[in-house]
Amino acid sequence: MSMANAAPRLSRRLGEIAFLAFCWIATGIALVALTAILWALVKQGGGGFFKPNGGGIDLNIFTKSTPAPGNEGGLLNAILGSLMMCTLAMLGAVSVGVLAGTWLSEFARESRYGKVVRFLNDVLLSAPSILVGLFVYEILVAPLKGFSGLAGAVALGLIAAPVITRTTEDVLRLQPVALREASVALGAPVWRTIFAVIWKAAQSGMLTGALLAFARISGETAPLLFTALNNQFLSLDLTKPTANLPVVIANFALTAYDDWRRLAWAAALLITATVLVVTMVARTILRGSARS
Amino acid sequence: MNAQLESPPETAVLEIAPETVKLAIKDLNFFYGAKQSLFDVTVSFAANAVTALIGPSGCGKSTLLRTLNRMYSLYPGQKATGQVLLDGEDILNPRVNVAALRARIGMVFQKPTPFPMSIYDNVAYGVRLYESLSRQDMANRVEESLRRAALWDEVKDKLRESGLSLSGGQQQRLCVARGIAVKPEVLLLDEPASALDPISTARLEETISDLKSEYTVVIVTHNMGQAARLSDHTGFMYLGQLVEFGETEQLFTSPVTSRARDYITGRFG
Repeated sequence: MSMANAAPRLSRRLGEIAFLAFCWIATGIALVALTAILWALVKQGGGGFFKPNGGGIDLNIFTKSTPAPGNEGGLLNAILGSLMMCTLAMLGAVSVGVLAGTWLSEFARESRYGKVVRFLNDVLLSAPSILVGLFVYEILVAPLKGFSGLAGAVALGLIAAPVITRTTEDVLRLQPVALREASVALGAPVWRTIFAVIWKAAQSGMLTGALLAFARISGETAPLLFTALNNQFLSLDLTKPTANLPVVIANFALTAYDDWRRLAWAAALLITATVLVVTMVARTILRGSARS
Repeated sequence: MNAQLESPPETAVLEIAPETVKLAIKDLNFFYGAKQSLFDVTVSFAANAVTALIGPSGCGKSTLLRTLNRMYSLYPGQKATGQVLLDGEDILNPRVNVAALRARIGMVFQKPTPFPMSIYDNVAYGVRLYESLSRQDMANRVEESLRRAALWDEVKDKLRESGLSLSGGQQQRLCVARGIAVKPEVLLLDEPASALDPISTARLEETISDLKSEYTVVIVTHNMGQAARLSDHTGFMYLGQLVEFGETEQLFTSPVTSRARDYITGRFG
């Protein structure tokens, strides 16, 4: 009796160990790859922030624009350009994405029109970003006869909006029907219910969606090649070609000039660190508002 | 001889005195798409009384409740025909402003549904929709509502904490407080104690008994003991029909219809 019991118990135990081992190995592989990337980025990119021949932090990165080879320079034009375009793109994408996601979840859940929009949004979500760049080139850059930061922002916004739409819809759908009914039962109109109760309940998920979209567009290069292009000089005019970090990385990383490669690494670390900081700040603010 | 041969009636609905009627339902039929789930319900509920609706699962008692505040209007496939008169005014009329109607007819649901905001804001939420009270008046209204819901003593020191931090029983009493804060005329309770432990249930029942002095209360319950303890009138529903409606004591001790008798004595359902 006891032997008969022991046999299946042992095999079950072995199965459990094997499964756990696989989980550990898979997690390990993912972590090793991630650590390797981060290590290279921090080592090389971190080095990029120091003057090449010793002498401390190179403040030129934040105060000077991209240099000609061999000259002193920094990333100021690209940092400001990326900041302006990402901010503008996120403003547009959050407005459109949150409202579209709300419409899909609250008003068009089962409707045929809603299904079509949802499908098209999913297609847009996985469209190669270079196509988005070409599209904006065709509708904005070519007719207006010039590359511009505005076109870059539109391209980035077009990439971010479907991500926000999708995540907004998903997290709103997770909110229980009972919560909506409870608000409506108090005499609240549907719009008030959505603004004051459903968005509030889903705010953490909606924020995650927006941060994902921000993380994605902050490193997008292909769509900017066709729209914002680049600019060697500091320019705050978004109707003109605008410098930006991803294109600077693309242009500088594969050159033979050490100082350009150093700046490319610094730019890569800067983007990653910005995404990290923005995520942490947004989470902290949200946690503070949830508590009150 | 004849009396013995006479079979009991199929349905028996007590008509309450017209001057006490708050809600009068006439020939109400209800449809979820093509499926009909209420059949010719005609009954009146008295003001300042507790009316209980009992019956097996799926008999239509929750559906009846959701008709009374037009909750079903949220869903395009659902439809009601007939009349539901609140103080003589037909609330099924498409021209009725449903938001304003729902402010007059409050509802508490089966599962506690606190909003993701502070305890104070949970109670104030509905009030802010229709009244602009001063800070002090609002604080008074919140306190009064929480007291009536028998929750004040437990939360008075943490009104700024999230409503989600309360226990299940406290959350449900918070929902009652939220419902009565807007001073509705009718309060609909859809199995309000089904997710609660016995102690929380007892406290909630006390709250409901207290409420009837000011409100017309309609409660759907699976718990026949609860219906017997709380209500003045009870309706027994079965397969979408209101089979028997009468004084609670009469219905539980000497039901007239055989279906109500079988259900109450535990022969089915």
